[in-house]
Amino acid sequence: MSHRKKVNMNTRWELVLLPSLIFVVVLIAGSQYVFLEGSFYKDLGLGRVGTDIDVSNYVRFFTDSFYLNTLWITVKTAALATFFTLILGFPVAYLIARMRSRWSMLLLAGIVVATFVTIVIKVFGLMIIFSADGLINKFLMGVGIVDTPYTIIGNQTGVVVGLMHYTLGFGVLLLYSVIQTIPRSFEEAAQIHGASRWRMHYRVLLPLSIPGITIGSLMIFNMSMGAFTSAALLGGGRVFTLPVLIQRTVMMEVKYSMAGTLSAVLLVTVLLINLLAIILIRRFRAARLVIA
Amino acid sequence: MKHSIKFNRTLLSAAIISLGVSFASVSQAGEFDGVTLKVATWGGSWKENIITKIAPKFEALGGTLEFVTGSPASNLAKLIAGRGKAPFDVMEVMDSQEQEFFVTNDFIQKIDYKNMSNVAHLQEGQYNDWRIASWHTQESICFNRDKFAELGIPTPTTYADLINPKLAGRVSIPDITSGGGMANFGGIAHAAGGDETNIKPGLDLIKQLNALKFWSRGGEVVTQFQSGDVYASIVHAGWCVRARNAGVNVATVHPVIGDKAVGVHKYGWLAIMKSSENVKAANWFLNEYNDADFQLEYARKSGVVPVNALALKALSSDPVSAEMLQLNPADIARQLRVDYSKVDKSVWMDQWNRSVSGQ
Repeated sequence: MSHRKKVNMNTRWELVLLPSLIFVVVLIAGSQYVFLEGSFYKDLGLGRVGTDIDVSNYVRFFTDSFYLNTLWITVKTAALATFFTLILGFPVAYLIARMRSRWSMLLLAGIVVATFVTIVIKVFGLMIIFSADGLINKFLMGVGIVDTPYTIIGNQTGVVVGLMHYTLGFGVLLLYSVIQTIPRSFEEAAQIHGASRWRMHYRVLLPLSIPGITIGSLMIFNMSMGAFTSAALLGGGRVFTLPVLIQRTVMMEVKYSMAGTLSAVLLVTVLLINLLAIILIRRFRAARLVIA
Repeated sequence: MKHSIKFNRTLLSAAIISLGVSFASVSQAGEFDGVTLKVATWGGSWKENIITKIAPKFEALGGTLEFVTGSPASNLAKLIAGRGKAPFDVMEVMDSQEQEFFVTNDFIQKIDYKNMSNVAHLQEGQYNDWRIASWHTQESICFNRDKFAELGIPTPTTYADLINPKLAGRVSIPDITSGGGMANFGGIAHAAGGDETNIKPGLDLIKQLNALKFWSRGGEVVTQFQSGDVYASIVHAGWCVRARNAGVNVATVHPVIGDKAVGVHKYGWLAIMKSSENVKAANWFLNEYNDADFQLEYARKSGVVPVNALALKALSSDPVSAEMLQLNPADIARQLRVDYSKVDKSVWMDQWNRSVSGQ
């Protein structure tokens, strides 16, 4: 009797997963398929697409330094944004996770609220505080660090800052949930056995956080790779990432096949980097187990 | 009894008359009863002006105006994606979006000028079977007078005058994807000695201008002037009017281009979609858009130049518009209009992308 009950429970759980599966297959995989399929035809101009299978868009992408550079800039800005988001986000997440006062909940709530502020507002905020007469330039010039106002518009630094602004909240929330799963007693034990605070972080906290950091990094990286608004607004029409180029190709050139090719390259690049990261982490963990 | 019959007859006549009067007014008010006209236009003040001035008139006739907000480029993308089945009845079309393309793809239908009284105030070339001009903009150099005086920079007369070390990183230029992007780039190409088929001189000049950024929406320019990020911008004079209204001491210059042209001119057009089922209402809307009152109000608020001759004349009495815009028809005729039939947009986009990204 109890066995039959168990079977029924399993069946119900499968049913619960079904709507999500349908959603993912139809809406996400379906739309990606449309792009992928469309990328194998030739643009005939003015939004028209050929009927014969053709790989000329891919040939053009991989033989034209402009497109290859655009891919490189996309990966580089996303990687830099991920790295600096982790550097900034980890201490904040650690502090909140280890706080014993009610402030931790307040800080978390603040981060959640900030995370859901639309990116357009965030980017315009950045543009205002970094403007020539803005808060940051007034301070930098006031203390004599710079002679002329520093701008984050129209350069890669600005795009990286914009991407960090976009992903930092998510990063802190992800890292917070990872650090919370690591018992505080491990840190206390390390310190009781004479480890300095830095050594405890390096030898205990960091290794235990690595799986979570990896997943968090990949999520931040993936978000940054596909981010359009920060790159479009802060890039100032000068920094071309793949999402920016896709938008221009669709909206202005109405070259749907080429846009499909760019989308496919972006998708495959993200998938490959994710796969590579997971393989590397597995090897790293296996190596650590062998050493242990 | 007789009195009672007479009274009843009077009452009946009054009732019939009042019914007749109300029926007549209902039939007039209900000319567009139940009609929802969808207009594809920009957001912001563009849409607001229509909501304030045209929508109440349409509602009084029983109809409802709805808007599909977006740039003409994004609306065209919707049209192509829907294979001509547009999610709107009327669309704002740019000069750079060639009429031939819309006609050959069966996207638009002929305009019925039978009841369009305002056409009488338009010039030849401002309307044809397929589209009707709704405004024009004057692409200019907008500059901060205070900053130029402070830095000792003379008032510019050409684009090349903005090549100045004191202005390095202080100039903004429209991105080619922006509403006025192609018109301005065409103007710059001509000014640099090129033309629609030879854009390299224009791209080289843009490199020398050392722009802070390539703006994609005119509103950005006003913000850049306010924040002190830019001292000069290549933008249509309407945005310069708005920057002045926002408190920045700016002025416009209509740049000298070659031997003949001064300034750059760009039309906005209206067209009725082939898939529209509200043809009568769409034609009514086109006529209202060219009404002198609407055109004048629109021009004062957004800085575009009316195509209606009465409104154009009336705008001369507005001091800011008179200072910043060229309102004399002879001056307007001297402005450069890019010949889009010679433009290979794909080449323009490709070359632009490579040049501005430094690749």
